[in-house]
Amino acid sequence: MSSNFDPIRIGVLFSETGVTSVIERSQRLGTWFAVEEINAAGGIHGREVELVAYDPESRPSRFQALAKKLVSEDGVRVILGCYMSSTRKALIPVVEKSNSLLMYPTLYEGFEYSRNVIYTGAAPNQNSVQLAEYMTRMYGSRIFMVGSDYIYPYETNRIMSDLVLERGGKKVGEVYLPLDASWEDFITLVKRIKGLAPDFIFSTVVGDGTALLYKAYRQLGIDPARMPIASLTTCEAEVRQMGREAAEGHITAAPYFQSVDTVANRACLQTLRQRFGHDIVANQCWEAAYFQVHLLADAMRRAGSDEVEALLRVLPGSEFDAPQGRVRIDEHNHHTYLRPRIGRVNGSGQFDILEETHHWVRPDPYLISHSLEEWSTRVKVVDPSP
Amino acid sequence: MSRRSSGTSVTLRNLRSLNILVLHPEDSDGRELLAQLERIGCRVKAIWPPHDRFEDDVPDLIFLAVRPEVIDMEWAWLKRPMHPPIIAVLTYENPTIIEAMLRMNVSGVIASPVKSSGLLSSIVLARHLYTNDMERARYAAKLEQRLQSQRKLDRAKSILMQTRQLSEDEAYNLMREQAMAKRVTTESIADAVIKASEILSFAVEKKIGS
Repeated sequence: MSSNFDPIRIGVLFSETGVTSVIERSQRLGTWFAVEEINAAGGIHGREVELVAYDPESRPSRFQALAKKLVSEDGVRVILGCYMSSTRKALIPVVEKSNSLLMYPTLYEGFEYSRNVIYTGAAPNQNSVQLAEYMTRMYGSRIFMVGSDYIYPYETNRIMSDLVLERGGKKVGEVYLPLDASWEDFITLVKRIKGLAPDFIFSTVVGDGTALLYKAYRQLGIDPARMPIASLTTCEAEVRQMGREAAEGHITAAPYFQSVDTVANRACLQTLRQRFGHDIVANQCWEAAYFQVHLLADAMRRAGSDEVEALLRVLPGSEFDAPQGRVRIDEHNHHTYLRPRIGRVNGSGQFDILEETHHWVRPDPYLISHSLEEWSTRVKVVDPSP
Repeated sequence: MSRRSSGTSVTLRNLRSLNILVLHPEDSDGRELLAQLERIGCRVKAIWPPHDRFEDDVPDLIFLAVRPEVIDMEWAWLKRPMHPPIIAVLTYENPTIIEAMLRMNVSGVIASPVKSSGLLSSIVLARHLYTNDMERARYAAKLEQRLQSQRKLDRAKSILMQTRQLSEDEAYNLMREQAMAKRVTTESIADAVIKASEILSFAVEKKIGS
């Protein structure tokens, strides 16, 4: 039994190396930043939060092995981590068997519930529907889909196909490239896309391939104003990796952009810059990683411990004033009420927010057939110019 | 690599309009089952102990706790050849229970402890198998009917050919013309020919016999 003054240890699994390390490092930073804030404010009833972090190297097997180590050797009850679905799937048997808790701060393809997982990133009804609606309305419905070769792109493209077909649109191509596809692969692909001249490209490429895709696009001289790339994963971290010149004009749907104008976001960014310098960029995965730690800390304060059963009684239904606006964990499906937005990369590598919802949108991870009508209460136009 | 050209299948799309009946006690399995069905977004009604009839509408799918106290129950709906598809929820996975499950002609099975994962696939598979079964049964019935009517036509044709010295085509055309004139099916004309022939041949036999 730990004393009332021992630190509370929490496990962290975000890759510092490997294909998705750029975005996972920003999630790790968001986690660290939130824990610093929590400890500076007195921790959990005087107990400090201590993070136990490893580098799972963007590999599912490594994620699983390290999760086992965290729960069995380090005595950790809560793990914060995972970006790719393949890594989350590898962790779930571990947290279910040991009755620990995983908090997962990444958008994903839905169709999952585990009582041992809290999902704080967007479900498809909180980003895909809005993106499909916006893109088909503004650019047309002949779509070319390109994704990384794993489960998230397959399922996300299924949803996008349905939405586009519902609009009478057409899929002119659907291509999956390996996670470690080369520059030449992307040049070949983008040449093909240029020849087919779709209305827009829907990309579910993740990791280092993202920069290659957008750079190849720029290199071959395609005008994003006419034929943009639409994405759910390309955020400020990827924009920085590829350079603003390659990213400008392309479109992303996400619940958070650094440019969101809320009191909580302004205050949060100010502290972040004081701590890590003016160069630091935020993004949707950073934000989810950040606010989920605060939700967890609040739950620990209310539960009086880090016992998983106690946490599971208070976490569902809890709310927090996140940088994106107020968020809430759903009692029934453990996903989070979030605020869908559409953003376009501007000349300074930030997103101009084009549209956003008036209210949070309830997560519906098991919604099979989405409809474009669902976002009818949808958006206020922030910037009407296309 | 391209995955699919058409949209998501109807069985999957219609999942949320399914009317699901859960015949399961309100224990931890029952609660987990209901909670996950609600997450998936199905319309669910739970009843225990199970009863003999469906009160309002017939469900599209039934989850049934197949356990010792229900395996000898004689439900009227269960005896109907086309009862709604059943997914068995098994607590004891032993031969007695498995045989009971086979007698109930279930379309799927989940084992206790009930988990959130696997349920969606079980529902979709059960509905898919049931729909296929229905289609096959309808097709078989149609074939059987067609076979019967073909037999009748053949018999009527041969009667006409023998008694009227007609060719096969002529015999068929005669029945068809009669059917069109009387606005009935060719099959019912064939029926009439067969019946008439039975009566006449009976009469003829009698005459000869007397």
